[in-house]
Amino acid sequence: MTNLKISWVSTAAFVAVAAAITRAVFFTPLELRQGAAQKIFYIHVPAAWVAFLAFALVAIASAVFLWLRDTRLDRFAESSAEVGVVFTTVVLITGPLWAKPIWGTYWAWWDVRLVSTLFLWFIYVAYIVLRGAVESPTLRARYSAVLGILGALLIPFIHLSVYLFATLHPLPIVAKASKPSLPGEMLLTLFVSLAAFTLLYIAFVRARYKYAEERETIAAAREAHA
Amino acid sequence: MPDTTPYYHVAYAAALGIYALYALSLYLRRNRLRGE
Repeated sequence: MTNLKISWVSTAAFVAVAAAITRAVFFTPLELRQGAAQKIFYIHVPAAWVAFLAFALVAIASAVFLWLRDTRLDRFAESSAEVGVVFTTVVLITGPLWAKPIWGTYWAWWDVRLVSTLFLWFIYVAYIVLRGAVESPTLRARYSAVLGILGALLIPFIHLSVYLFATLHPLPIVAKASKPSLPGEMLLTLFVSLAAFTLLYIAFVRARYKYAEERETIAAAREAHA
Repeated sequence: MPDTTPYYHVAYAAALGIYALYALSLYLRRNRLRGE
């Protein structure tokens, strides 16, 4: 096995996530009505935030790629999309686990917020499958850039879906025009978690980008030999 | 309200497990690439 050095970003992300979880689990009071299940909030909301950030950045990098044709942007979009899928998976697993004791059901197919988040996951899984299916690097980058941009159009729709349709999902309690409706201690825990998981996103994307870079270097060297 | 702790434990374990598995997959993929 080759030795891989663990970067300082990865170390910082690990420490930050450990600190955020410790704060959420041991140093944040229980919510009176929901009990312990409310603490799922501190991993569910940051995962959703990071997923949205990841896919929005995929769209931006893809749009700029179509303009400049810089392969670094394509590589970044590829990395951010994969990491976004990981975070969306966490959203889709922690959401139902929180919903069951509070709403009485794991899932509601009529709920637009839930189903559109699932669709977002499918679109970016399709993005990854598409990248694997197209052999030509130029075509792969172009096709996936278009899908990367179109997929991200779901993000504002998902955010606004709780205002537009009947839903089980609560309305935003922090990301809204008026003041956050959350006690200070809980709000601080949320912000610590948001920062920690954003750092984890950066560490994941950085590592995934380096992998893509090395893979391309090896592929280019092979082609030169052939 | 019944005890909701088991849901909280499973959700945290699942989330942290997924992140750990992804970190491991990144490590293994880069290692395999360097071994080629």
